[in-house]
Amino acid sequence: MIRSATLSAALPLDGRRDMARETTVDQARALDRFLAGIERRALRIAEIALRDHAEAQDAVQDAMIRLVRSYGQHPEDQWRPLFYRILQNRITDHQRRQKVRNAVMAWWPGRDADEEAPDPVESAADPDGGPDQALEGMELLERIEQALAGLSGRQREAFLLRNFEGLDVAQTAVAMGCSEGSVKTHYFRALQALQQVLGELK
Amino acid sequence: MTDERMRELERKSRAAFDESVESLDAASRSRLTRARARALEELQHRRAAWSSTWLPAGAAAAAALAAVMLWQGEEGTAPATTPAFAALEDLDIVAGSEDLAMFDEDEEFYAWAVGEMSDGVG
Repeated sequence: MIRSATLSAALPLDGRRDMARETTVDQARALDRFLAGIERRALRIAEIALRDHAEAQDAVQDAMIRLVRSYGQHPEDQWRPLFYRILQNRITDHQRRQKVRNAVMAWWPGRDADEEAPDPVESAADPDGGPDQALEGMELLERIEQALAGLSGRQREAFLLRNFEGLDVAQTAVAMGCSEGSVKTHYFRALQALQQVLGELK
Repeated sequence: MTDERMRELERKSRAAFDESVESLDAASRSRLTRARARALEELQHRRAAWSSTWLPAGAAAAAALAAVMLWQGEEGTAPATTPAFAALEDLDIVAGSEDLAMFDEDEEFYAWAVGEMSDGVG
């Protein structure tokens, strides 16, 4: 404390002000760099989870704001799992609201809540499809997305974060808010389920 | 499911995902850039909010400290450390090191408060 006071007293106010500004500028640059590096993948992950482009854009923006507001002061190496934790919470919130909305709509005369959402497993391409089937690029990803939509929420999260975003098990556990053991279980089951639906990927 | 097939599924699905990220359309990229700029504005808002919340409290606390130090000087009870030094140390705690921008507006007040404390107990 005395040392701190000595330093504080020794530094002229102008110097302290300059240091504060430099710190803020450095932090803003670091956050900008981090968000720029993560935003496209985050958007695609949110799109796959939500199946809604506009909602995914909003979710990513909300996650960016929350990260800067609440965790901008945290060490830089914590930002990635924290960002995805926020994004996953946002996605889960939206999915819960959707479920409630669908449940309410199911009671609405003349409407079937499920009619807008085709069964993703049924609509996935036949894994035994012929060799003519083009399975590359966007078409392949579309099949994978449909298959992912048929997984449980936790399995899908584990797959998106581990395989698509490339988080390690520990980071995924932070992002999912569960133990590393649970991450491994969810991820393995996701792979098994995807393999079952997709069959051999050519 | 063999490890080989598992790895193949991981590899091919990741490659397809990476490709989709690379080919993200211009409108989406533009909106992401705006979203990032909006998020970074939070840094400014947070600093402003911090100052407006804690500056009055910090000023009041500094004034209270000054009053206490003056009172201690009158009573003749010597603090354990050099009085001005201790006061400065407490002032440092009150001001905090998280955001020094507050000095922009009230540095004269703080300089005055420190001077008062030094004079009062010296």
